[in-house]
Amino acid sequence: MATPVAHEQRTLGFTQPERPQLRAPRTSLRLRNALIGWTFILPNFLGFAVLTLAPVATLFYISLTSWNIFGAAQWVGLDNFARLIGDKSFHTALGNTFYYAALHIPITIVVSLSLALLLNQKLRGAAFFRTVAFFPYITSIVAVAVVWNMLFSPEFGPINQFLSLFVDGDLPGWTVSKDWAMPAVIIVGTWKDMGYYMLLFLAGLQTVPGELHEAARIDGANAWQRFWNVTLPCLRPTMFFVTVMVTIQSFKVFDLILVMTDGGPGQATLVLSQYIYQKGFEQFEFGYASSVAVVLFLICILVTVVQFLYNKRKEA
Amino acid sequence: MAARPSALRRSGRVLLYVVMIVAAAGIMLPFAWMVISSLKQNNQVFTAPVQWIPAPVQWRNYLDIWVKADMVTWVRNTLVLSVAVTLLQVLTGSFAAYGFAKMRFPGRDALFLLYIGTIAVPWQSYMIPQFQMLSSWGLNNTLWAIMLLQAFGAFGVFLMKQYYESIPDSLSEAARIDGLSEYGIWWRIIMPLSVPALASLTIITFVSTWNDYLGPLIYLRDRSLWTIQLGLQSFIGEYNAEHALIMTGSVLSVLPIALIFLLGQRYFVEGIATTGVKG
Amino acid sequence: MNRKIMSAVGVAAAAALTLTGCGGESEPAAADGPVTLTLAGWDFASTPEFQTLADAYHEANPDVTVELKEYPAGDDYDTALTADLAAGAAPDVFIVKNLKNYVTFTEGGTLLDISDVAAELDPATGGLEPMAIDGVTYAVPYRQDSWLLYYNKELFEKAGVDLPDGSWTWDDYAEAAEQLTEGIGEKQVTGTYLHSWQSTVQGFALAQSEGASLDGGDFSFLAPYYERVLAMQDAGAQPSYATVTTNELTYQAQFGTQKSAMLPMGSWYIGTLVAEQESGAADTFEWGIAPIPQLDESTTGTESTPVTFGDPTTMGINAGIDEAKIETAKDFLTFAAGPDGAAALAGIGITPALIDDAVADAIFGLEGVPQDDLSRFAYATHETLPENPVGQKTAAIQTILGEAHSAIMSESTPVDEALAEAEERVANEVG
Repeated sequence: MATPVAHEQRTLGFTQPERPQLRAPRTSLRLRNALIGWTFILPNFLGFAVLTLAPVATLFYISLTSWNIFGAAQWVGLDNFARLIGDKSFHTALGNTFYYAALHIPITIVVSLSLALLLNQKLRGAAFFRTVAFFPYITSIVAVAVVWNMLFSPEFGPINQFLSLFVDGDLPGWTVSKDWAMPAVIIVGTWKDMGYYMLLFLAGLQTVPGELHEAARIDGANAWQRFWNVTLPCLRPTMFFVTVMVTIQSFKVFDLILVMTDGGPGQATLVLSQYIYQKGFEQFEFGYASSVAVVLFLICILVTVVQFLYNKRKEA
Repeated sequence: MAARPSALRRSGRVLLYVVMIVAAAGIMLPFAWMVISSLKQNNQVFTAPVQWIPAPVQWRNYLDIWVKADMVTWVRNTLVLSVAVTLLQVLTGSFAAYGFAKMRFPGRDALFLLYIGTIAVPWQSYMIPQFQMLSSWGLNNTLWAIMLLQAFGAFGVFLMKQYYESIPDSLSEAARIDGLSEYGIWWRIIMPLSVPALASLTIITFVSTWNDYLGPLIYLRDRSLWTIQLGLQSFIGEYNAEHALIMTGSVLSVLPIALIFLLGQRYFVEGIATTGVKG
Repeated sequence: MNRKIMSAVGVAAAAALTLTGCGGESEPAAADGPVTLTLAGWDFASTPEFQTLADAYHEANPDVTVELKEYPAGDDYDTALTADLAAGAAPDVFIVKNLKNYVTFTEGGTLLDISDVAAELDPATGGLEPMAIDGVTYAVPYRQDSWLLYYNKELFEKAGVDLPDGSWTWDDYAEAAEQLTEGIGEKQVTGTYLHSWQSTVQGFALAQSEGASLDGGDFSFLAPYYERVLAMQDAGAQPSYATVTTNELTYQAQFGTQKSAMLPMGSWYIGTLVAEQESGAADTFEWGIAPIPQLDESTTGTESTPVTFGDPTTMGINAGIDEAKIETAKDFLTFAAGPDGAAALAGIGITPALIDDAVADAIFGLEGVPQDDLSRFAYATHETLPENPVGQKTAAIQTILGEAHSAIMSESTPVDEALAEAEERVANEVG
C-alpha cells in the first residue's frame, strides 16, 4: 500500500510550482493547507469516527437514561448524575482512583525515564536489559498478578520474610490489608508499566541531537545540567505524550486491580473503571454506569487540556 | 594519578552491572514462575508455600498443548489479527499524525483533543453499543470485527504526532523549497526519521492485539476463531482449571514477542543522528 | 461467473436473514418437518451436559436437532451472552447461569413466558417454585447442586477423630477441624479447607438462620458464622483467607492432594474428584460425603432433613426466537427439566434439579463414588435454599456483601463493623 502512495506523491511533488506560498493569496493558501491536512487525517478519521467516536457519543446519551442493556433506554435527564452525589461507593472509588493516580503517575514517569536514560547509553548488554525491562509489559497479566500475590503473601511471601530481617513487630498485610493493598497494587502497576513507557522515552531520546550535548559538555555543564537544559527540552513532545498517556491509563486502571485484589479487601482498591463494570455488567444499570464513565472522561480530559495548554505555552 | 579515577570508574561500572543483573532477575521472576509452573502437574501449581522446583518435571505439557488443544488455530488467528491491526494502525496513524503535527488548519487542535478524549473513555463502558453496531453489519463472530475495532484507535495518531513535532521544521521547510509536496515530505523526510517511533508503535500495537482478551471474548464465539488468550482462558472450566497448561500456553505466547523485541532492538534506538540527516 | 453465483447466494442468505430476523411478524407455522434449535452453553470440552441433553432429546425427537453455541465458562459467560442478547444475536434457548441476573433478564424482555412448561414439571423439581415472578415463570431449573461436606476417611483415621455421622452442627465441625489439624500433625495439612468465595460462609448462614433474608436490611445473622470461621482460621484449623487468596489455592488441589481432611463444597465436586482420582491428578484415598453441618440440633441426624444451599441452573427461551420454533423449544425445556433429562444428566455424574431414586442410583453406580449409607443420604436428602433468592435487588446486595466478606475474612474490619457498614450501604445504595 505504501509504494503506490509514495509514487503518486513523487509525481505530484514535481508538478508543484516552486514556493507556492509566495504566489497564492493567503486565504486560498489556508484553504489548500486545510484540504491537504484533511487528506492526511481522513483515512484514519473515517474509521475512527464510525467505530470509536459514534459509540462513545452514544455513551453520553446513555448516561442520561435508565437502561438495562436489553430493553429501550428511558430518558431520565440528569438523575444519574444527581445520584452520584450521594453514592458513597462512587466516592470511595473516586478517592481510590485519585490515590492510585497520584502515586502511580509520578513514580512511573521517573522510573521509566531513568531506565530509558540508562539503557540509551552505549552499554554492553543494553539490548538484553531493554528486553528484560519490557518483559513485564508482555507477560500475561494473570501470571503477573498470581506471582506478585504470592510474593506479597503475608504468611508465606518472600517480601515479608525479607522485611522480617529488619523489622520487629507487625509487617504489612499487602493485598489482604485495607491500608497496604493500594500501595501493593501501585508497586505492581509501576513495575508492569515501566518498560512500556521506557520504550516511548527511548524513541523520544533519539531525537535529542548529539551535538547539543557535545556543545554543553564543552561549556562545562555537568551531567545533571545537560539533562535539565538539553535533554528535557528536546524531549518535551514525548514528555507530553507520556504524561497524558500515564495520566489517562492511571485513571482508567482496571485489569490489574481486577486480577490482583478484585477491589478488595472491602472496597480498599475499588476504582472507577471497576465500578463501571460492576454497575454495568453485574447489576445491569448501564445508564448509571455510563454516567460514572462520563465523570471519568471529564477528569481525564480536564487534566489533558491543562497539560495541553501548558505545553502550548512552553512551545510559544 | 590517572589510574585511580579509572579504577573507581571501573568498580562503579561493575557495581552498576551487579545492580542491573539483580534487578533483571527480579523483573524476570514472574516469567520464571510461569516457566516453572508450566513444567508442573496441575495440582502442584498453587501451593502454600510456593514450590519452586517442579517434581516430577512435566515436559508433556509442551506436547499436550499442541495435541490436546487447538494451539495451532489460536496462534494462526492471533497472528492474523495482530499483523492486520498493526499494519493498519501504523499506516493510517502515521499518515494522520502528519496532518496534526505539520499542517495548520482551523479546528485542528479541537479535533486532536477529541482523539485523545476517546482514549479517556474506558472501553467496557461503550463496548455494548459498539457491539450492537458491528453486529447489525453482521460482523460479530468474525475476525473482521476485531481488526476494525483495534485498527483506527487514537493511540497511534497521538504517538506519531508527538514524535513528528520533535523533528525540526527546518527539514521539511528545506524539502518544500526543493519542491516536494506535503505527501512527499511525509514519505521521504519524516517517515525515515521516525523509525524509533514507528518501531515502538509497531511493537506496542502488536502486543496489545496479541494479548487482548475482552475484545475477542465479546466478539468471537466459534472455536475456529479463537485467539491464544481466549483459548488459554478455556482451560479454566466451570469446576476445574488446567493451570499448568495455561502457564505453558502463556510461556509460548510471550516468546515470539520477546524475540521480535530483541531482534528489533536497533530500530528502537536509531536516532536522527545515526540516519545521517542533520538538523 | 463466479461473482454472479456468489452474489445470488448472498441475496438468498440476506433474504433468509431478514426472514428469521423478523420472525415475530411472520405467520406462525406449524413445526412439522425438521427443526433446528440453538442452545447456548459453555466450555463444551469439560462440560458435557449440553451435548448430553441435546443428544438425548434428538434421540427422542429425531426431527429436532439441537445445535450448540459455545460461550466461555465462568462469569465471562454472562458478559458474552449479555452482548449477544443486546445485539439480538443470542441462540433460541439459553442458560440463565447466575440466578442473580434472572430478574434483569426478565425485565429486559429477553425471556419468554414459559409458565405452561413449569406447570407440567414435577413440583418436587429443586428450585422450581421460586422462579415464578408474580405468577409467571421465565426459566426452569434443569440442574441443582447442593453443598455437602466432603471428608478424607484416611486422614480422620490417622488423626483418631470420629468420622462425621450426620449429627454435626458447625460447632462440632469446628472442633473436629481443630482435632484433625493437631492429630494429623503435619505441617501444611489442615483439618478443613474453606474456599475464598463469599457463599462458603454467607450461603449457609442465609439458608440455615431463622428469618434470615437478603433484602431485610439486617445482616446480623451472618455474625455467628463469621466469628466461628475467624476462630478456626486463627487456630490454624484451615488455611487463612489471606493465604487462600494470595497463593491462589484451589479446593481441588487442597482436598485432592490430601492437604485438608474436610471440605464443604457443592455436589458437582463428586464428579470432579472421581475423575481426578482416576487420572492421577488427585491422590488415591478413601473419602465420603456427609450432610453439611447445621446451625443447631433441630435439623441434624439422619431422621431430619438437613438444610443447605445451592442455586439451581435454569434454562429459558430467548424472547426473540422464531415463533415457529416456540413449541419445539418449550418441549425441549420440558424434556430437559423433566425425568428424562434428569436421567440423562445423572448418567454422566451431574446432579439434576429433579432428584429421584433413579438419579441417586445412577450417581452411586458410577465407579469411584463412595458407597456408604451416609454418603447416599447426604446426597439425596436435603432442603436446598438458594444462595441468590430471586429478587430485583439481589445482584446489588450480593456485591456489597461480597465486599464485606473480603473485609472480614482478611481481618481488616471487625465482624460487627463490617456488617453494620454493609447494612448502611444497602440502605444508601440499593434502597
